[in-house]
Amino acid sequence: MRKIKISFRILAFVLAGLFLHYILPQQDVLRVTGISDRIVTLSSFQRYFYAQTDAGEDEGSIRDLRLINTERKRTYLFGLVRMGESVMVYRNEDTGWIWPPYFKFDSSNLEAQAQAFIARPDQWVVVTHYGWRIPFLTLYPNAVSIKEVSGPDYRPIPWFNIFFFIFLMGGLMFLRAMWRQFRERSVDPLLDAAGDRVDEVQAEVAERKGRVARWMDTWRSKDNKQLPPE
Amino acid sequence: MGFVRLVVFGFIALSVIYLSISLYSRSVRKERLENEFDEANPDGGPAGARDAFIVEGMHAYDNSIRPKLIGLVYVIPVVAVSVITYVINAH
Repeated sequence: MRKIKISFRILAFVLAGLFLHYILPQQDVLRVTGISDRIVTLSSFQRYFYAQTDAGEDEGSIRDLRLINTERKRTYLFGLVRMGESVMVYRNEDTGWIWPPYFKFDSSNLEAQAQAFIARPDQWVVVTHYGWRIPFLTLYPNAVSIKEVSGPDYRPIPWFNIFFFIFLMGGLMFLRAMWRQFRERSVDPLLDAAGDRVDEVQAEVAERKGRVARWMDTWRSKDNKQLPPE
Repeated sequence: MGFVRLVVFGFIALSVIYLSISLYSRSVRKERLENEFDEANPDGGPAGARDAFIVEGMHAYDNSIRPKLIGLVYVIPVVAVSVITYVINAH
């Protein structure tokens, strides 16, 4: 039972970690090499990962996907270790108002920006994005913004994520305090009252049993009890 | 349409958070008042004094700024969404 509990907790923790890794913004240092469009028909599984259709358009599975082709610095361990370069393709989609909550409406502007950087092949930029590149499911991370930087050694500091995790820890601790207060003040007194009631009922039953037993005793023969001591 | 959904469901979610925090805050305040009274009157005090003390304390709490600050639960997310929308879409 204990092992099941622990493995369940580890699983929940890993799932939450993956979810956050997918959804939180990450920054890549790269050079834009090109942009492209392709028409895709999204499967129902891919639909989970791709955003809604552009703001104001009809929902559908066929869409013209905008892609940004880049050559980026490879990073490991959340950007702490960097070595080599590799290609990376980002999609460029509006997220709209709902999910994920990036409130991005300017994918056309972002495309124009990316296009402008193609003409400057030596210009290094930082692309903020969320999501994963999974080639065998044809999933791309979604680029959210492009910013010029000084060079390939620029190291972005994930300010948003730092504050997000501080806020998350605070929120979880607050939730725990709320839950404890609720238990102490509302649930425990109720349970105590219920426990008291059970005790009372049991005592009453015991007493009634005692009375019945005493009454039954009056019907028993008294000879045994009145045996004279030897 | 997405905007309407965000507003409606956001309002429901924030209302749940608002109610939970208000209940929690009142509960903490009440517990503190009870403890305060019990410390000052280890023998239990005169009859009805404990209830009167707590009612008075809760009345003071209701009139203080604290319960109004919980209204920030509605303000902060709206500001955050506005800031994120601006930062993401401005060039």
